[in-house]
Amino acid sequence: MNAAPGRRGRARPAFRLTPFRLAACYGAFAWMILLVALPHLLLAAASLAARGDPGYLDFSRLSLDAYARLLSPEFATVFASSTALAGGATLICLLLGYPFAWILARAPRKWRGFLLLLTILPFWTNSLIRTYALIALLGAKGLINAALLGLGLISAPLELLYTDFAVFLGLTYTLLPFMILPLYGSIEKLDPRLAEAARDLGAGRTATFLRVSLPLTLPGVAAGCMFVFLPAMGMFYIPDVLGGARTLLLGSFIKAQFLTARDWPFGAAASVTLMLLMAVLYAFFVRSGGLGAAHGARRRAA
Amino acid sequence: MRTTLAALAAKALLLCALAVLLPALAAPEARAAKKELFLFIWSEYIPDAVLADFRKQTGIRVTATTYDSSEAMYSKLKLTGGAGYDIVVPSADYVMRMGAEGLLLRIDKARLKNLRNIDPKFLDRPFDPGNAWSVPYMWGTTALAVNSARVDPKAVQSWGDLWRPEYKGRLLLPNDMRGVLGMGLKLQGRSLNSMSEAEVKAAFEKLLPLMDAVKVFDSDSPKQAILSGEVDLAVMWNGEAKVAAEEDPKIVYVYPREGFSMWMDNLSIPKGAKNADAAYAFIDYILRPEVSARICSEMGYATPNKAAMARLDAAELANPVIYPPEDAYARGEFEGNVGQAVTFYEQYWTRLKTR
Repeated sequence: MNAAPGRRGRARPAFRLTPFRLAACYGAFAWMILLVALPHLLLAAASLAARGDPGYLDFSRLSLDAYARLLSPEFATVFASSTALAGGATLICLLLGYPFAWILARAPRKWRGFLLLLTILPFWTNSLIRTYALIALLGAKGLINAALLGLGLISAPLELLYTDFAVFLGLTYTLLPFMILPLYGSIEKLDPRLAEAARDLGAGRTATFLRVSLPLTLPGVAAGCMFVFLPAMGMFYIPDVLGGARTLLLGSFIKAQFLTARDWPFGAAASVTLMLLMAVLYAFFVRSGGLGAAHGARRRAA
Repeated sequence: MRTTLAALAAKALLLCALAVLLPALAAPEARAAKKELFLFIWSEYIPDAVLADFRKQTGIRVTATTYDSSEAMYSKLKLTGGAGYDIVVPSADYVMRMGAEGLLLRIDKARLKNLRNIDPKFLDRPFDPGNAWSVPYMWGTTALAVNSARVDPKAVQSWGDLWRPEYKGRLLLPNDMRGVLGMGLKLQGRSLNSMSEAEVKAAFEKLLPLMDAVKVFDSDSPKQAILSGEVDLAVMWNGEAKVAAEEDPKIVYVYPREGFSMWMDNLSIPKGAKNADAAYAFIDYILRPEVSARICSEMGYATPNKAAMARLDAAELANPVIYPPEDAYARGEFEGNVGQAVTFYEQYWTRLKTR
């Protein structure tokens, strides 16, 4: 409450803890502590413990051994394949999502709500079911091949399922809305007069886009990329189901350490490493002003 | 403001601690009614009618809770120290592990007069010598399903045949380290429960070139890929193969000559069972020939109960996917727990998948 005396009249009323607010605060704090902070602390602690048998963890010998074991060529491969997959999916989503969001933001106002609804409509179905539905489309006896064979366009089924194409299709299909929504937020608040001014000052369409519109929507780009890249990094069921599980990804690697190898410290160390990476990306995102894009609509209303 | 928030946080932490502790203080001894049995079993693994009949005969009401992975069942019992259920149905490897970790009650065979119905070839197996911890419930195999319309089953009687170049890109393997490494071990004449790192390493080296021939790794629903024609050769457990063969009779099930993996699910009594008397009554009831016959023909798996087999119809007994012929059975090996060796199994598996 550092408001200058002269502005006191316009300051917000002081925050008062009514019983309802108090209860809401307790609820939120308890939730965060019990279900977010504690599990993460336990995970961090587990990554420092030693393997115990028959128990899972032995806290009597703490070390960074599990992290040292992550420095193996196998983990590097796992990490590289996951990064490549997540990076590829992010790029595809960006290339598809940007024009999409642009059209959405420039559509007549009365249509926008409906178009946004269409964007998030797939979320109404469980993503695992949607992934299995893609199998029904892509399989050797699936809808696409059956249709093409029926039309006589091909003589043998195309190999669509269990390919990189299927993996990227599945990832893009699932994650595209996460790219579109923040982009939409930042494109919508882009003032059309800026583009007009650029055109008046002699910039062509390309130059206007590259030097005015794109830089102004970069926070949306950063937010969208983060919302796609981070989940794609840990996602393994889509690549496993559509790609035939031929590459080992971070998510399955961590799961295997906990469930089959029963090497909790190693699995925990891999999880903590992944979270640290995400934290670094998040910090980068905040510094690039991306957080503003997420709240773009609010700022615009103010 | 800051102090208020800090105080709030402290109180919330206290609430959390209470939330964790209270149930632990209040819960036990609330439900030890003698006429109730808590059954913890795989989903879709016992007909409801069997439980209803058991209640009619004994007055004991069965409350069934299901799981769909051994690990989920194990973790739960490990956390409670073996309490909460009167009967649990662990697979062979988990019998071995849970018995050794003191999570199971030693079976008093004198209380199971129907145990003599079990075929002796399923008793006293290496995963539970003397059946100290378990009574066989249902069993099966993991072998090779072949689409005979595209591959002649006679050409793939050995695991080694899968390495032939013409099968490249037409093969499905389990997405499971024991399944794949076990196949390599068998091919080299070893036990699939080998705890020797040298043997597992040799299996790994043999398997390495096969990895590029694999189109799909799938343990959840492998029948789907062979039915849809994505692959022509698929290593899968017989429950999946049976459904696949029913849907497409061209799919045949081959028991490779070097041997293959077998599974067995077993009835066990957890250490903390509240109602062991009811548990014995339940196991003895399941061991009745007519009850076992009913369960296995409804569920579609093989029974280890010899007296029950006499009551099954010939078609079911003649189905080689459910009941392997005697000479094939002799080549099978039950998959047990490999203890600490799991560490290098996992390492070689990771190396196979990241080649």
